[in-house]
Amino acid sequence: MDKLVIQLLNESRERIYTRWMDEMERVRDEHRLQSITDAAYEETNKELFEIIYTHIEQNVHKPTDRMTQFAEHLMKIGWRLSYITQGLQTFRRIILAVLLDANQSNDKVYSMYDEIDRWIDPIVNQLINESAKNWENTVSIQKVALQELSAPLIPVFENISVMPLIGTIDTERAKLIMENLLTGVIKHRSQVVLIDITGVPVVDTMVAHHIIQAAEAVRLVGAQCILVGIRPEIAQTIVNLGIDLGQFPTKSTLFKGMKTALEMTKRKMIEIE
Amino acid sequence: MRIPILKLNQYLLITIQVDLDDKTALQFQEDLLEKIHETGAKGVVIDLTSVDMIDSFIAKVLGDVVRMSNLMGAKVVLTGIQPAVAITLIDLGIMMKNVPTALDLEQGLEKLQQELGG
Repeated sequence: MDKLVIQLLNESRERIYTRWMDEMERVRDEHRLQSITDAAYEETNKELFEIIYTHIEQNVHKPTDRMTQFAEHLMKIGWRLSYITQGLQTFRRIILAVLLDANQSNDKVYSMYDEIDRWIDPIVNQLINESAKNWENTVSIQKVALQELSAPLIPVFENISVMPLIGTIDTERAKLIMENLLTGVIKHRSQVVLIDITGVPVVDTMVAHHIIQAAEAVRLVGAQCILVGIRPEIAQTIVNLGIDLGQFPTKSTLFKGMKTALEMTKRKMIEIE
Repeated sequence: MRIPILKLNQYLLITIQVDLDDKTALQFQEDLLEKIHETGAKGVVIDLTSVDMIDSFIAKVLGDVVRMSNLMGAKVVLTGIQPAVAITLIDLGIMMKNVPTALDLEQGLEKLQQELGG
């Protein structure tokens, strides 16, 4: 950056600071920071200002480590990224005003403006990029976690497994269910698989279609499906929609399904004396 | 390329270990029916464990073979269909209805024994 600009900025640091603080105080509500105490807000502002100023002193065009850490810390305690970007933008507006006040020629002001723009923009961009990356990371981790929870196949007895389904079934999940079901059947050598839909809130034609497909695929690999957990309202929707679930056995509860499954594998539950 | 057909007591065992093309499949259909006629086998197990791909034509031939064998008095069980193959078949809309299936050779033989013995 131009030496002259740096010198000017250093000279009028106090003035810039006061004006910047005023501006930040005005936009405080926008960032939903009313609940923060005045002292804490001022303290943070002061720190941000100093960090921004170190960028000028060190004459760097990307966020320093201190800036990234500061941003990360703020995000962690629930401040918005817009607080920092606004801080930088306000800062730019104010130093421009200060430069203009310093009575420079028009050309000079224009080139300074250009320079300051080129200085602040990369910092803002990189901060946004980094936090976006952070969010994407979090989202993808959660997605994996959700997938793991989505369709587990649990071996209960020898040759009998249960897949409890909870929550809405969409096409993507149906695919996952089918894959887990088939690989699980092979892995556990199951002859009967109980699909429990007690936790599925709505069974429409699409969901039924997915379930029928999964059951057919299970039959192809050599096992049998029993659909259990059909609640009264689900039974009503299925019949009203004209869905044919006749190809495989259905039961109202997991318990009844388990009894049938045991019968199919030539076993039964008995009470011991 | 011909697919070997083994006889074990009253059963015929076929393990398909190559990717089936149309010609091989049709040849196999003829060989199997001939063999059923020759041996008077009561049950047939066709093991598809090492088959990675089944297209609609092969699926049709397999379905036909099952029905033809049934006409000749031999029960057929398909075993070891891989998950990927099952998904492909379902996606193609081929349900292979009325074709008995089992997880592997062992369970397939058990199933035949049940049906024939019972």
